[in-house]
Amino acid sequence: MSTVSAQLALIEERVHAAQGKGGRLYWVLLACAIGATGIGAYSWSRIIRFGMGETGLNRPVAWGVLITDFVFWVGIAHSGTLISAILFLFRARFRTAVYRVAEAMTVFAVATAGLFPIIHLGRPWFGYWILPYPNERSLWINFRSPLVWDAFAISTYLVVSSLFLLSGLVPDAAALRDATSGWRRRLYAMVSLGWRGTDEEWRHHSRAYLFFAAFATPLVISVHSVVSWDFAVSVVPGWHSTLFPPYFVAGAILSGVAMVLTLLVPLRRALGIEELVTRRHLDLLSRLVLLTSLIVTFSYGMEFVLALWRGPRVELETLLFRAFGSYAPLFWTMVFCNCAAPLLLFFPRIRNTPIALFFLGIVVNVGMWLERFNIVVTSLSHNRIPFDWGTYRPSLVELGITLGSFGWFFTWFLVFLKLLPAVSIAELKEEVGHPHEGVDATEVAHAA
Amino acid sequence: MPLEGGRLGVFGDVSQAAEAVRALRSEGMEVRAATPAPFPELVAALERPISLIGLSTLTGAVAGGALGLLLAAGGSWAWPIVVGGMPIVSFPAFLVIVFEMAVLVGALTNFVGLLAICILGRKRRGVPFDPRFTRDRIGIFVPGGGIRAEQLLLQRGAEEVRDVA
Repeated sequence: MSTVSAQLALIEERVHAAQGKGGRLYWVLLACAIGATGIGAYSWSRIIRFGMGETGLNRPVAWGVLITDFVFWVGIAHSGTLISAILFLFRARFRTAVYRVAEAMTVFAVATAGLFPIIHLGRPWFGYWILPYPNERSLWINFRSPLVWDAFAISTYLVVSSLFLLSGLVPDAAALRDATSGWRRRLYAMVSLGWRGTDEEWRHHSRAYLFFAAFATPLVISVHSVVSWDFAVSVVPGWHSTLFPPYFVAGAILSGVAMVLTLLVPLRRALGIEELVTRRHLDLLSRLVLLTSLIVTFSYGMEFVLALWRGPRVELETLLFRAFGSYAPLFWTMVFCNCAAPLLLFFPRIRNTPIALFFLGIVVNVGMWLERFNIVVTSLSHNRIPFDWGTYRPSLVELGITLGSFGWFFTWFLVFLKLLPAVSIAELKEEVGHPHEGVDATEVAHAA
Repeated sequence: MPLEGGRLGVFGDVSQAAEAVRALRSEGMEVRAATPAPFPELVAALERPISLIGLSTLTGAVAGGALGLLLAAGGSWAWPIVVGGMPIVSFPAFLVIVFEMAVLVGALTNFVGLLAICILGRKRRGVPFDPRFTRDRIGIFVPGGGIRAEQLLLQRGAEEVRDVA
């Protein structure tokens, strides 16, 4: 057997073996995730049975934790496309070992985010009213409304990111199909769509994948811009700002990449893929976290600068309420998590310590959830006149749904890890067949 | 359509496979390959033209954008209610719908085009199936290839050469 073919076989064995690993811990985590999903489902059922009074929403705060969760999960979904599509277009080869996890995360995060507008309706069976379709019931779709744009953007993002994930999985599923038996073989045969690896198939696949990346790149920027317009198009102080689209996109990338780090650090250990997902990959991802954290910090500052410089007085009032009012502890926790803590990533030692990156990822995501809470809630609770002031506290039902969303996301993610390859087999093999600077695939083979 | 006969060489090394492709092509033989990954060296040796799948993708994207515009403008005309003093057909606001629909339909046609081309290509330019070709070996197939093709494949390092009837 030649060296190259031995390396190719080894990569596949490694990835295949990783699916069988995890042991008891995997099943415990899956049980916890399903349990959390159950709590979320029960909480939602209370809203369906007893109405929106089960939430803490009331005048003047009509958007609370549920919309915060929506924006948070859309943000989480962004890193997958960034790592997969944008880095693909820029030929950043380090994406090879990490993009599959990020892509899967994207699909499950969008699927989670999409639930929240429906939950927030209170009467989810009317959710389809926002979709334009011929009807005789006098429904009027306002195409000038950002909420309608949102329905289009999120649906498109879910479809495109799912197709992107599936098209990347096809060659890997074919490899696993030919190496397994029983129900797994049937599953992989279905996902591989009859792939045989002929040069004709690769020729079209490579081109189609490039187009997916080309579509996904502007799409990822548009989706979070559209989400930001849900707020910015209104005239509510604290929301009505042209800064929102880039600010939201940078924040989404920050939270998404931080989530990738949080997932990858334990995963590479649990699945025994430390040679595939190396410390160098983690280092490069953490630099991305640092960069986007600096952009987000700049945006936080600019909000105040713009309000001080020429903004209406009420804008500054709202921002001061955010920083020093009843939600101040949450604001300063957010500043610590998103602006101060990531500065540790300037130190190479921190970037090379996986456990530190794991905890930093969690800290950043706590901060990013609080950022969305601050934007959504503080602006509504401190509108133009004192008559419109009020404090919102989330109810247990809303917190249960939030917990359930994490359970829902992790259930899908854990099932994915067990069934489909967590790293791209075909792209790692391509690196072996065409070694160049900075590629770790050959190291993988040698290490084993 | 059944696969035509020929010679199938199995390689364990990318460079040797690429060398075999170049040698076979220099003698005017048609060569097809099956590989676990799109190895650049082999792709270069095969010198295949760029895929035209982009045509279906582009058509889909343009059609999707037009559909989005039709939907937004038509829907607004069907219920001509003035909101915030904006025109009934408000192009800047509709651009979001046009863009999202262009991406959605473009991506769908891209995927359907990929499926269709691969299924058709499998019939027109197939390579005999061997599970090793998705794993760790490279298959070089010469349709209609005879003894000369077998010699070239073996000379360039093929681990085995099969006569495909």
